Amino acid sequence: MKKQRISVLLVLVMLVSLFGMIHPAVLANPEDNILRVATAYDAKSLDPVAVNDVASTNVMRQIYEPLIDIDNEGKVVQGGASLAESYEMVDDKTYRFKLYEGVHFHNGEELKAEDVAFSLERAQKSPQVQHIFGDIDVDTIKCIDDYTIEFSLKEVNTPFLTSLAHSGGYIVNKKFVEEAGDDFGTTQVCGTGPFKFVSWSKNDRVVLEKFDDYHGEEPKLDGIEIIPMPQPSSRLLALEAGDVDMAYELAPMDLAKVEDNPDLDLVRIIENSTQYLGFNNEKEPFNDIRVRKAFAYVIDMPKIVEAVTSGLGQVATGPMGPNIKYSLSKDLEPHEIDLEKAKELMKEAGLEDGFKVTLSTNEKKERVDMAQIIKNMLEPLNVEVEIEILEWSAYLDALSNGDVEMFQIGWSPAVPDPDMALWAPLSSFTIGEGANFSRYNNPKIDELLLKGRSLEDGEEREKVYEEIQNIILDDQPWIFEYNQEASIGVNKNVENFHVTPFSYQSLFTINFKK
Amino acid sequence: MLRYIFKRIVMLIPVLLGVTFIVFTLLQITPGDPAKAILGPTADAAAVAQLREEMGLNEPFLTQYGRFVYKLVFEQDMGRSYSSRQPVMSLIMQAFPATLKLAAFAVAIAVVIGIPLGIISAIKQYSIFDNTALILGLIGISMPVFWLGMLMILVFAARLKWFPSSGFSTFRHMVLPSIALSAQSVAVIMRMTRSSMLEVIRQDYIRTARAKGQTERKVITKHALRNALMPIVTTVGLQFGALLGGAVLTESVFTIPGIGRMMVEAIRMKDFPLVQGAVLFIALAFSLVNLFVDILYAYINPRIRSQYK
Repeated sequence: MKKQRISVLLVLVMLVSLFGMIHPAVLANPEDNILRVATAYDAKSLDPVAVNDVASTNVMRQIYEPLIDIDNEGKVVQGGASLAESYEMVDDKTYRFKLYEGVHFHNGEELKAEDVAFSLERAQKSPQVQHIFGDIDVDTIKCIDDYTIEFSLKEVNTPFLTSLAHSGGYIVNKKFVEEAGDDFGTTQVCGTGPFKFVSWSKNDRVVLEKFDDYHGEEPKLDGIEIIPMPQPSSRLLALEAGDVDMAYELAPMDLAKVEDNPDLDLVRIIENSTQYLGFNNEKEPFNDIRVRKAFAYVIDMPKIVEAVTSGLGQVATGPMGPNIKYSLSKDLEPHEIDLEKAKELMKEAGLEDGFKVTLSTNEKKERVDMAQIIKNMLEPLNVEVEIEILEWSAYLDALSNGDVEMFQIGWSPAVPDPDMALWAPLSSFTIGEGANFSRYNNPKIDELLLKGRSLEDGEEREKVYEEIQNIILDDQPWIFEYNQEASIGVNKNVENFHVTPFSYQSLFTINFKK
Repeated sequence: MLRYIFKRIVMLIPVLLGVTFIVFTLLQITPGDPAKAILGPTADAAAVAQLREEMGLNEPFLTQYGRFVYKLVFEQDMGRSYSSRQPVMSLIMQAFPATLKLAAFAVAIAVVIGIPLGIISAIKQYSIFDNTALILGLIGISMPVFWLGMLMILVFAARLKWFPSSGFSTFRHMVLPSIALSAQSVAVIMRMTRSSMLEVIRQDYIRTARAKGQTERKVITKHALRNALMPIVTTVGLQFGALLGGAVLTESVFTIPGIGRMMVEAIRMKDFPLVQGAVLFIALAFSLVNLFVDILYAYINPRIRSQYK
């Protein structure tokens, strides 16, 4: 009996201790001046040339710097978190950059021209970012002095300057990379940016701390933790609980909760990506423009986008996102819906009895939902749609090989330049070799795209891209779906966050309210 | 006994080799190119070809498999992840502790709650307690773990702020995910304990023990439970082994950096080395758990102990 009482007493003591540990005050985040950000995915690597994804760039942007920086419209800006004090074009293919002096890497080494040369050579050779830096002629890279570097491109390409802001162009320390070997980008990371790498626990968090010797404006935060949380609901709950200060990629159904929460702000911006319904322009029946136009007359995209995205995103009206320079999208209306016109076009094409077609997509929820609605909207044309859902890598294979009839995909230009937005998905040079999955082949478009690459920004270049967009609108190789919208929940304590439409964000200007 | 254990360990080798061969073959025959999955839709054909060459994907199937086995056996090297370039072994070692902790705590909760509930249900068969326990068991088995997890986060983390909503670094972080994950196991262990006990307490030797004047507590704990333990131990072992494979949904909801989440991402990216390494590791862990359960049988049941000699 005595033993029983002692056992019960012990259990009670343990329980009380347990509950004693759960005092809310103990669990509240201390004010440690560290920004915690919940993202959807973990970074894959922190080597700038080993990856080309948003999750990795979200971390790398805080650690590394490119030669030049760009604003939200893609214009080059001086100063900011970049390394070139000035630049000039020696000729139409040759660039010369003068670096800031006295800039240090996180390992204490001073930034020199040879580091830039090394970084650009790595980028030129890397399969992951070759599509952006492959034009560099590595034989022409020369260090004129310790702080001046010059290199040429293989061909004239005026958007290339903007490309240098891409994560593949982040500058690394030659000595550090060579010593780190295979561990560079995983456990060994070193840049010139305002935050330096502390640790990376895969699928848990990346921990960064302030770099005291940063050459630019001193960051006001002491550190940043980037925490991957795949579930949107988990990100929202963590934000509401105060476990994180910012949460990226909130789900449409969660936006109202953030807006209604007095402790939180909702930050939104239309991104540069364009989601579209593509046709295989090489195969029947979509090699006939009348069929493509007929489909455009019955697929009511505003209704589809509203139903599927609940207002998160904007109906796309052209091939380029509205924030990219020279985009006509902001002045265009969604395609007119006219069933009679559609039927007439199908009759002219000899297809008034309809046909069977496969609509391919990957397992992304929005695409699957859209596919279902598109299937229903095509019924009045007697078009029978079979929806084929493929796993992502199998889907990419099918797209590259042209084994699709209709499909859904998105294109997000790595750099906000019209060349990046249009060349890869619409020039005939990339059919079977790149991202022109619709196999659209128009020599006039190719000619204009090549011309656009050779011109400096200005009226003439603007006219070229306007003409390209108008031809695309006429030819209808795609039906434009929507431009994605970034939705970021932010604690009201966070100040000076400047959102960008690039899908990744710079966090180093942020501070907490006092 | 030691000879038996040694024999079992040696038998693991062909089992593990077989597992790697099956996984390797499945990864090779499923559609999709790992190089394209890594590079994404922006990649041109030249970049894809270059990456395939670097990753050794153009080599014949048996050459790739042979090289994997050779490096595994003679260099203890599982290769590097295609997508992150980190050593596979290091990625698994980073992820496994979280899964092990989660599984261990979940099973511990399940045992501490499930076995006593099962015993009492068996003793008081058809009582209100028994019926209530069975209904709770049914709810436990039926309730989706991700739904329970999110509900717990909403109530205990977001509203009451008693526990953190995500992560796994401290004991406090472990409470909610372990409880959520244990719900199904509690139900399974409780039901197995109940049926096993019911079978035993009807035996003649139990009647004899009572007739000899033993207290009911001694009859249950010393005689009945001990004989009923075998299937319970098997169930606990199977539950633990299954959880070691990664409770993907729990890890996703609570943002735990475990093996389950890692595997799902690796499969999506066609990261062959990481998938192979992780499956091999889980198979090894599962086999070791089974071995441990078999050894435990010997402790519990002297008749089995003599068979192992």
